[in-house]
Amino acid sequence: MASALRAAVLRYIRVPVAQTLALNGSKLSLFNTVRSMSAHGDDHLDKEEVIERVLDVVKCFPKVDPSKVTPDVHFQKDLGLDSLDNVEIVMALEEEFKLEIPDKEADKIDSCHLAIEYIYSHPMAG
Amino acid sequence: MSFTLRSVKVPPNSVSLQEARSRTFDFFRSACRSIPSVMEIYNLHDVATPSQLRSTIASEIRKNAHITNPKVIDMLLFKAMEELNNIVEHAKQRHHIIGQYVIGRGGLVQDLGTKDQGISNFLKNFYDSNYF
Repeated sequence: MASALRAAVLRYIRVPVAQTLALNGSKLSLFNTVRSMSAHGDDHLDKEEVIERVLDVVKCFPKVDPSKVTPDVHFQKDLGLDSLDNVEIVMALEEEFKLEIPDKEADKIDSCHLAIEYIYSHPMAG
Repeated sequence: MSFTLRSVKVPPNSVSLQEARSRTFDFFRSACRSIPSVMEIYNLHDVATPSQLRSTIASEIRKNAHITNPKVIDMLLFKAMEELNNIVEHAKQRHHIIGQYVIGRGGLVQDLGTKDQGISNFLKNFYDSNYF
């Protein structure tokens, strides 16, 4: 039934070939002017956005007083957190920016400033 | 990930407290990284957020923060890894996870009435939670 219908419909449909080709061609060229070479494009995060999102993550941490959080704050010295909290914040940042920070790097991140620098320079941060 | 972890043999004891400490952090990281899949497996999206679960894991670890013997820490890490593997392999059911890690020690029913002021600690704990 369905195949009979399809055959019946297909018999009467005519697609003007030249027109569609031209259409496709113009679309493609339009695309190419907008898009860069890579499929990801140049979607690197800008610094303000990184700073804002990092600070948001730190402020949302339950033990942190949000008013104390600045871009230069040190997690353990200034916010009174311990080393486990530090790791927890780094994991929260991983989740926020969809990264996987290697353990050695993660150990070094102990302040907002370092976290911002690391994430800003990371090519896969999104 | 859990299946690769399972094939790993028990690692040798930590030599120093420092090593045990870094192993604890490694465990914490791997537990945190498995949170998304755990939430998927047990359908926890409407009862908990990843950051809550992260805090729960951290508080479980912090309960044992006073321990300074590396061998004891290794033993606890082994048990923790076992628990994590069980959770990731879906060896538990949803209410286990919710009771243990989402509701946690707060208890199922928050009974703040005055009627059981004088009862023993044992009974209080009994009413409070199965998990401790």
